[in-house]
Amino acid sequence: MNLKELKEIIDLVTSRESIEELELEKSGVRLRIRRASNHLVSSSIAPEARAVIPAVAMPQLPPEVPQETAEELFYIKSPIVGTFYKAPSPNSEAFVSVGDFVEKGSVVCIVEAMKLMNEIESDVAGEIVSILVENGQPVEYGERLFAIRPR
Amino acid sequence: MFRKILVANRGEIALRIILSCKELGIKTVAVFSEADRHALHVRFADEAVCIGPPKSTDSYLNIPNVISTAELLNADAIHPGYGFLSESAYFAEVCEASRIKFIGPSAEAIRLMGDKARARIEMNRFGLPVLPGSADAVHTDKEAMATAEAIGYPVIIKAVAGGGGRGMRVVENRGELLTALKTAQAEAASAFGVPHCYIEKFIEKARHIEFQIMADEYGNAIHLGERECSIQRRHQKLIEEAPSVLMTPSLREEIGSRVVQAVKEVGYSNVGTLEFLVDERKNFYFMEMNTLVQVEHPVTEMFTGFDIIRDQILIAAGERLPHKQADVQFRGHALECRINAEDPVTHKPSPGKITAWHSPGGPGVRMDTAAYAEYVIPPYYDSLIAKLVVHGSTRDEAIRRMDRALDMFVLEGVKSTIPLHRQILRNSDFLKGDIYTKFLEHAQGRRARAVEIA
Repeated sequence: MNLKELKEIIDLVTSRESIEELELEKSGVRLRIRRASNHLVSSSIAPEARAVIPAVAMPQLPPEVPQETAEELFYIKSPIVGTFYKAPSPNSEAFVSVGDFVEKGSVVCIVEAMKLMNEIESDVAGEIVSILVENGQPVEYGERLFAIRPR
Repeated sequence: MFRKILVANRGEIALRIILSCKELGIKTVAVFSEADRHALHVRFADEAVCIGPPKSTDSYLNIPNVISTAELLNADAIHPGYGFLSESAYFAEVCEASRIKFIGPSAEAIRLMGDKARARIEMNRFGLPVLPGSADAVHTDKEAMATAEAIGYPVIIKAVAGGGGRGMRVVENRGELLTALKTAQAEAASAFGVPHCYIEKFIEKARHIEFQIMADEYGNAIHLGERECSIQRRHQKLIEEAPSVLMTPSLREEIGSRVVQAVKEVGYSNVGTLEFLVDERKNFYFMEMNTLVQVEHPVTEMFTGFDIIRDQILIAAGERLPHKQADVQFRGHALECRINAEDPVTHKPSPGKITAWHSPGGPGVRMDTAAYAEYVIPPYYDSLIAKLVVHGSTRDEAIRRMDRALDMFVLEGVKSTIPLHRQILRNSDFLKGDIYTKFLEHAQGRRARAVEIA
């Protein structure tokens, strides 16, 4: 079983509400996927964020692969509607870049609303894995701005 | 004319505004809370932006997020609908400061009419009769006793900042007055943040009749006749109709022209509604003016053939009133039933998933709703899920049409007011037009007693 197949199985489970738990054994690999119990909040809002794989045992694959898939990223979301800026001013350096480590409370960006610059802080300590919006882009309430691998 | 309008509301009224915009060729921006991601106003607007979590104080009432959305997406106007920000003078001011047109009257007019006591003094000065009462808030026990004595019992205590029945108490005799006043003040303080209450004459069998008006920014104003909204439960309207059975063309002409005169005198522009209490001798007493497009506006649209929201947008864009008083023709009879998601017996809200849905149609039937099969009614907002409106050549025809439309309305998964409406439509007093604001309370009291005796 390769990474692509594994992803497909996880996608299948997360897309069907009726599947609570799935156990699969194929050519020496045993896989068990179980849903987090609090997934029934809303059917179509970001179900991928709620998939949890508590028990994965794959003796024939290198251990990094299931860990990579199973990892839970934290998302910094916009608390307001406004315009996203990655730096304090057009000529200055970005607050953070991919690969940077941030502390809880570090300023990661600005969201401008009604001419006010609102500094957005990270809720967790960790590594910035990706920046999900473009500089100058309008963002809505709850929009994901950064993915962070918590430390 | 506006190029893009932000609709700062949800549910059927947001959809209603969007459809007038579509017909006018104006682009629309929907705003929504996290609970409304699958709502129809989000789907049918040209653009949609999430402005906050489910609680309305954090989303639909979140002025910075609403204004930011309008600025980011270059909306030139905001339509507030009814409820939420529609009666916020502060919001109207913020819109003005942000150079976004608020589709409604001026902040000054909203503020004046929001202060019920001041509004009655002003409108009385401009020729509208008001009920005998304290006119201003009563502050001391002694003042309250003296006022009630001068008016004569029964009296009613009302919150100055009131609405929706909160902070209201009917008092039959002097022994009940002070306790009732304390309760009303406490209710007013928790509901509106202001405890002030005033006292006025209570009419035993009062009808609630209101006049729809429309005024432009150049001093022109017309009225679109009356709506009778006497079928209420706990001061919440349930059935509205036009015309009122007690109305005659000459009485409509008389009250209508006084209303138009008063509206011109206070310099009001945009659409609005003047509510009156009417006693059994057809005396009209001005109660308050609502400075927004009301829930029951479709009744008048069916009665006159006008599109009130379209005209409201045109007026806000600076156009002259598109109709003259002589153009307003009153035709047939219109009736509206408010379908709420609630238990018809206990009146508790009944949120949840609509499992089956069929919307009635056919000649003379109009349905204003944002619900659909599989739609989940969120528990955070009001329980109105549909307004079923019919038009007939006579009141009898309208009632029969409404009854068959309710019969063909399939709504499963949640409880609704449909069974209650069907009961009312068969009540012999209702059929005779013998209705008043306590009609439902009395009818249900009789039924409860009948059950006890049986």
